[in-house]
Amino acid sequence: MSSTKPNDNTGQSPRRNMITCRGVKKWFGDFQALKGVDLDVGEQEVVVVLGPSGSGKSTLIRCINRLEVHQEGIIEVDGVELTNDLRNIEKIRSEVGMVFQLFNLFPHLSVLDNITLGPIWVRKKARVEAEKTAMELLERVGIPEQAAKFPGQLSGGQQQRVAIARALAMEPKIMLFDEPTSALDPEMIAEVLDVMRDLARRGMTMVIVTHEMGFAREVADRLVFMESGEIVEVGTTEQFFSAPREERTKKFLSQIL
Amino acid sequence: MTTVINANVSSQKSWFKWVRDNLFSSVAGTIQTFAFAALVVVVLRWLLGVAFAEKNDWTAVATNMRLLVSYNYPLSQFIRIWVAAGVLLVCAAASLGAWRFDPALTVKRMARTFYSVAVVAALCALLMPSSAPGVLVRTLWLVSTVLAIAGFAASAVASKRNNLTVSFGALLTSSVVGLLAILWFVPFGNYGVVGGSPFANPGDTVARSTKEPWTVIFTLVLFTFWASRALGTKTVAIVRSALLAFWLVGPAFLIFVVLRDPAFDWQRVWAVDVPLAAGFAFGGGLLVYLLAKPTRSSLARLVGVALSAFAILNWVAGFFGWYGMLQKVRISMLLLAILVLILPAFAGSQSKRLRIAVAWGGFILVLHWLITAINTPSTLVISAPPFLGGFTLTFAISYYVVLASFPLGVLLALARTSDLPLFRMMSTAYIEVFRGVPLITILFLFTVMLPLFLPRGMAVSDLAAVFAGYSIFSAAYLAENVRGGLQSVRQGQYEAANALGLTVFQRTLLIVLPQGLRVSIPNLVGQGIATLKETSLIAIIGGFDLLRIANSTIPNQPQFLGQKRPGLLFIAMVYFILAYTMSKSSQRLERRLDAGRM
Repeated sequence: MSSTKPNDNTGQSPRRNMITCRGVKKWFGDFQALKGVDLDVGEQEVVVVLGPSGSGKSTLIRCINRLEVHQEGIIEVDGVELTNDLRNIEKIRSEVGMVFQLFNLFPHLSVLDNITLGPIWVRKKARVEAEKTAMELLERVGIPEQAAKFPGQLSGGQQQRVAIARALAMEPKIMLFDEPTSALDPEMIAEVLDVMRDLARRGMTMVIVTHEMGFAREVADRLVFMESGEIVEVGTTEQFFSAPREERTKKFLSQIL
Repeated sequence: MTTVINANVSSQKSWFKWVRDNLFSSVAGTIQTFAFAALVVVVLRWLLGVAFAEKNDWTAVATNMRLLVSYNYPLSQFIRIWVAAGVLLVCAAASLGAWRFDPALTVKRMARTFYSVAVVAALCALLMPSSAPGVLVRTLWLVSTVLAIAGFAASAVASKRNNLTVSFGALLTSSVVGLLAILWFVPFGNYGVVGGSPFANPGDTVARSTKEPWTVIFTLVLFTFWASRALGTKTVAIVRSALLAFWLVGPAFLIFVVLRDPAFDWQRVWAVDVPLAAGFAFGGGLLVYLLAKPTRSSLARLVGVALSAFAILNWVAGFFGWYGMLQKVRISMLLLAILVLILPAFAGSQSKRLRIAVAWGGFILVLHWLITAINTPSTLVISAPPFLGGFTLTFAISYYVVLASFPLGVLLALARTSDLPLFRMMSTAYIEVFRGVPLITILFLFTVMLPLFLPRGMAVSDLAAVFAGYSIFSAAYLAENVRGGLQSVRQGQYEAANALGLTVFQRTLLIVLPQGLRVSIPNLVGQGIATLKETSLIAIIGGFDLLRIANSTIPNQPQFLGQKRPGLLFIAMVYFILAYTMSKSSQRLERRLDAGRM
């Protein structure tokens, strides 16, 4: 445990903290998925979380918008602590966009309605305005011509781009990506990564769980390596790939690179 | 010209090919085809033999048509049934128009339908027993020939322009015009009983008292359909919300239109019921509006406690008979007290306070309306002398039971799948209890026992009791059907909705229910069909529904002694047509909701 203190010499940015995790612990029954995680994500920072499957990466980012409830420790998002207060949670969720591995689009709504649902019902925008924004976002992710179709008629890559547009329509301060390309055919991965790259360039605060190493190296400000529920190493992209300090990180990198 | 002939040849060829590939593709297939054809012929021949046996007197049905439709409903009041039926049909037509209902009906498919009906009609004509009236056989041949020609013409047109479709409006218009023409010009015969013996004027069409209202209704139906279709985008939005409002509350008004006592005490309504409803709606609304201010939450709690104490005192007083009070005052008082008690949790901005107050007012108005409607002594008493019966009763009960049990069932299903253990337990208990009891027991319980438990001065008419009991029973089954659908909604959908920041209520209404209900449509329609057919059980508790009239009323008339078969066959056909229509429209709905979705 002592070797896994994060944040020591990690290129911690001077920027304002958007996400703060302190000693976050989470159990599923007897199984401890998170064993005291400390993590800071600054404004406009892109953090990529790496690690073998079952290491708790997804659980961690799902705790950040409380799709999972952590049992110990503190998580603060944009200065607001996550508690059981329902209104608090709904507010934080509306400020944090989430993109899932399996897209989770609403199959009974058209692409346009999928995107305008949140703005209309949560942000209380007028429909006309919401639809205008939605079309701009579809434009941005490159599929404005699919607006009237239903998710079932789209390819996986297109669906994931709609899912990103849906999250962006809420004008979130933070975007969480939970293995956004893992369920996609190889030829569709690039189109999704392009959209994410564009987002990173525009200065969105992002936490990304992914296995796309090339992409991670390209867009990440910092990389986090997790294993068995704890953060093993945090470092800037360059340091992480060229000079990893921990033995476990080296082993992981040698396996996948 | 040659192209047409070629097209016909090719279509004939493809028809031939279809028969060969599907019916005679192998030895086993050929045997099956012949065996099935033989079975159809035998069964049809038997059915027709039963229906048109020598001893069957179909004038028993024709003469008793009014009985079958509405039983003893007084002729002088018949206009009310016409108005209710007319309003329903006209609003249905307006809805079809306003929502731009226009399924793609290809001419090709129409041709196929024409052909198949023509074949069935010809088959029936061939297999008619010799005892069948000659005019019927001749009519069947005529229908068969006309449809065959129409089918041929349609397929000729379709072969020229393959994807030609007929608009729903054209179909509706031509069917309505056709129906009206049949009503006015086809000599069905005019049946009646004069001086104790049945008579029929074979040359006449149906009675004017029937065809005139239908003419008016059908004309209005056509007019509203085309008018609502022609509306612009802005007006259509208003019309749509008006129609939705009608479908939500209209039925409650219509049942009152049909069942209201001719000697209804309007004076009492204006002197007591209306002021009470208005007082609670506006007074309560004002109170709620004033107390919903966040700064007044302690005052709200105080008022809430005081109101609750008073409301509970009213019930206790009612129980011991200290002082009299209308039951609905007690109910409204209690509801208001509960609302004020929980008000601090909803306190908020001015617009929010206004919304709560308006919601309360609307709720109270509807509630008082329902209580007045249920409590008003109507002329309908199910035990003798019966007032309303026959098809109208069957239709009204099944319609209102489906209407009432649907929201109740959905709420129960949501409660049973909710995270709150109290809701879950209550809903499970309700469902298990009411599913475990036979419907007939519940009907007896509600008509016989319920009045004994009611406080003094409160009466429930038998129809209301049947309606309430049946709805409660049906909701338990419906809840299980809906629950099956809700469970098919994947976890990811909940997560995606949560991640957008939707509230639990929004998530349920916008994401979970639409998907869950779509999956449960087949089961829900099955439940609806069962509800329709099981209304025949009210015969056992003294109602004169279709079955009882056909099975015991008509056979006991001196003119038609023992004539059971025609009546039973007739109502079987009525039930079948209703159930088949429901099943067909549910299939259409499923297809429409399924288009392009996962």
